[in-house]
Amino acid sequence: MTDIRSHFHQELSDLEQTLLNVADQAEQMVGMAVDAVCIPDMELAARVVALDNQIDRIYLDVHNRWLTLMARQQPMASDLRMMSVLLHLNTTLERMGDQCVNIAKMAQVTYGLPRSDRIIAQIREMGDLVRQMIRTGVEALVRRDIDEARLLPAMDEPVDRLNRNMYREVVECGPDASLLEWATRMMMVSRALERIGDQVVDIAEQTAFLLTGEMMEFNENGISGTGQ
Amino acid sequence: MTTDTAEGLEVDLRRSSGGRPMVEIASRQVEGLSAPDNPILIEVRGLRVFYGSFEAVTGVNLAIRQNEITALIGPSGCGKSTVLRCFNRMNDLIESARVEGTVEYHGVDLYGPSVDPVEVRRRIGMVFQKPNPFPKPIYDNIAFGPKVAGFKGNMDDLVEESLRRAALWDEVKGKLTESAYALSGGQQQRLCIARAIATSPDVVLMDEPCSALDPIATLKIEELMLDLKKDYTIIIVTHNMQQAARMSDRTAFFSVDVSEQGRTGYLVEFGRTPDIFTRPQKAETEGYITGRFG
Repeated sequence: MTDIRSHFHQELSDLEQTLLNVADQAEQMVGMAVDAVCIPDMELAARVVALDNQIDRIYLDVHNRWLTLMARQQPMASDLRMMSVLLHLNTTLERMGDQCVNIAKMAQVTYGLPRSDRIIAQIREMGDLVRQMIRTGVEALVRRDIDEARLLPAMDEPVDRLNRNMYREVVECGPDASLLEWATRMMMVSRALERIGDQVVDIAEQTAFLLTGEMMEFNENGISGTGQ
Repeated sequence: MTTDTAEGLEVDLRRSSGGRPMVEIASRQVEGLSAPDNPILIEVRGLRVFYGSFEAVTGVNLAIRQNEITALIGPSGCGKSTVLRCFNRMNDLIESARVEGTVEYHGVDLYGPSVDPVEVRRRIGMVFQKPNPFPKPIYDNIAFGPKVAGFKGNMDDLVEESLRRAALWDEVKGKLTESAYALSGGQQQRLCIARAIATSPDVVLMDEPCSALDPIATLKIEELMLDLKKDYTIIIVTHNMQQAARMSDRTAFFSVDVSEQGRTGYLVEFGRTPDIFTRPQKAETEGYITGRFG
């Protein structure tokens, strides 16, 4: 097939590539933010904040390019669905960056406080799971693979479970006020990682919409179609 | 030729004596139709159009619903204008043209032996690509059709009502005796729409009605079409996909097969417009509307 709108499709593809790069960056930021908390490492925390500023700038740039494409090209069919996905992806990735900053800030405010190895181990586990989710979610989008996208709710399940379990770990930290303060902050870190997991499931739902034209709600009980 | 149809409608397409509808179309309560769909007004089955031995359009099945705008889109030479002309037997005017299959209007085959093409064209009016007013005053442009058809009512009222419906009255009411040629292109096209509806059709066919107009005049015609669909069923051929997406309730996408004998158009996909433009079922439709065609 000859592509009659090759310039438009090139711009659409460039926009997608920009966001895939941001997704890679977000995945690395999750690792850095978790390291900043667990090592702890204030330099890493500061780098996460700086990288988020970069994501914010890209977010605005992508938004402007998206509006221009929409106004000038009036895409249809799968191109229109791709535009919808890119707009959603841009917002989701920007929020994932914000969650990484929330984690980095927890590293900063808990610096020097006593810590629990068990909680550190759980945060690390959640971080690893979420990073794997981001890689899978991005891969599903790149490969246009709906089966891979459908893996995400199941991958999110242990993240949710670890997050639900976190308050027990905090309670078991006992009466030491400093340790309790640190542990309470770690609940915020756990919550941020759980939110990022949910955001990756959103990306998988968008991939399914791109491929089928139907909006589907992915949850741990399966997939429910919500029509267009 | 009076027929009781499945839709419970009665229609007579023999030559009428008075110009106004000879037999009122009596619409009775229709049962068994799915709630969100308007009743089918025109049903096309197995339509094939030949010019001599060459098949220009093949195998078209379409259901045009009342008070909807149906858009026919597709690349040049795909036969969409040919199909449009079948709806009011305009192809009869081309000597070598031959139509196979059925085009049922209110359940009556428009190509049936006792159907009068003139009466068909009164009920199914047409607006062309280039505004083509008569070289006469504005008033006469509207009054001509009803007069020929033997209209006996108040002609001034009919002219005013037709111009009002075509959203032109306020612009021309002080100069009805002036030549239609003095109007702008957009006004001339609205005059042609007023002329088409002056004979009380219930279907208006439009063949690229905005292709000769600027964007403002185009939007005026589009707004007018949305108003008119309350009273009329509209079928429009357009090359402007945004226009089809904006205006129509249903879209038929045609494509073309090229062989040694020539180009034969065929219907690829027909469906609700939002579906066609967001998630078409056929790869060919997808390719055409996203620009990956060819």
